[in-house]
Amino acid sequence: MHISEGILSAPVLLAGAALTATAVGYSLKKMEHKEVPKVAILSSVFFVASLIHVPLGPTSVHLILNGIIGVLLGWSAFPAILVALALQGVLFQFGGITTLGVNTFNMAFPAIICFYLFNRGVKGENNFIALMMAFVCGFLAVLLSGTMVAVALVFTGEPFMQVAKLVLIAHLPVMILEGVLTVFCIGFLRKVRPEILDI
Amino acid sequence: MKKKLYLILIFIFLIIIMINISAFAHKVNIFAYVEEGKIYTESYFSDGKKCIESKIEVFDNQGNKLLEGLTDKEGAFSFEIPPGDGDLKLVLTASMGHRAEYIIQADELGNIKGLIEEKIEEPVSAVSPEVSSFDLKEIQSLIEDALDEKLKPIMREMREIKKSQEDRISPTEIIGGIGYIVGIFGIVAYFLSRKK
Repeated sequence: MHISEGILSAPVLLAGAALTATAVGYSLKKMEHKEVPKVAILSSVFFVASLIHVPLGPTSVHLILNGIIGVLLGWSAFPAILVALALQGVLFQFGGITTLGVNTFNMAFPAIICFYLFNRGVKGENNFIALMMAFVCGFLAVLLSGTMVAVALVFTGEPFMQVAKLVLIAHLPVMILEGVLTVFCIGFLRKVRPEILDI
Repeated sequence: MKKKLYLILIFIFLIIIMINISAFAHKVNIFAYVEEGKIYTESYFSDGKKCIESKIEVFDNQGNKLLEGLTDKEGAFSFEIPPGDGDLKLVLTASMGHRAEYIIQADELGNIKGLIEEKIEEPVSAVSPEVSSFDLKEIQSLIEDALDEKLKPIMREMREIKKSQEDRISPTEIIGGIGYIVGIFGIVAYFLSRKK
């Protein structure tokens, strides 16, 4: 999911950077003092998750976990993912500095969509429905991120259907895996630390 | 009791990550070497999976594209050394926005050619007039062949070492990264607390 340097055209890079900067600015303004440790922890989770590789599909894929990050953090997902991606770029050479804006947006925007769609759902009374919501949340976040990567690549001239198909097929195992992981996380948090979910 | 369970789970999670660190990464690598007038390249994702049918482009040091090709099932692609001197830049474009570069230095390319030319100029003043430049050339190429043969395993070993150095993600970097995250959000927390 990390788009490397030197692939995207300048307008795409600039648009990504601008959108990310705006969203990060907004979320930092909105962020509350007591939220910060939670953001830091989930940022670390995102940072490490990309090292967990899923040995399936035609290319190399890894965990992203932006669904769970989105549902737990809301708008704060933007700074969390930005920081983690910047460090991945510097320390592991994943992605790159010029593509930081685009990559952050590709992963954090679906996180926020998931926040609005599922935040209520995963807190619900009914345990089963909440866990189903969690699965769809983890699944959908990766699906959306993959679609956005495909869209970003289309602007540099690659045919959309081809890229989209490739991204989606490659990430199907990850989507399912992330769905299951999100179910476990939410289930666990509901039982042990409901205050993280603000129940 | 609940707290303990929580800690144990985190601990297990960390251990799983630590065990698998060396193999898990997410970028593409391209690796190239010169052998017998040809340039061989290998392309792979950093977890070791080969890049199949990925595009490789070759540029000279002015940025002109010299040739391009696709990798085979083993992630390999080879081509004759193109004419001209100067460094060559190989650019690999793999699926889903992955890209990597490798630069072959000019001296790596030209050493064979250069050696022969240097030696040919000497024979005129050489010890025995019977040894024609043709013979010297032959001797030269014989020596070179023998050397190549002998050096092959060493070169291969060096390539492996170079490769593994490029790929590895050390636990230090991971822990350092987490440290940075804690620090950065510490700063954020500080400024947020001053605002109130």
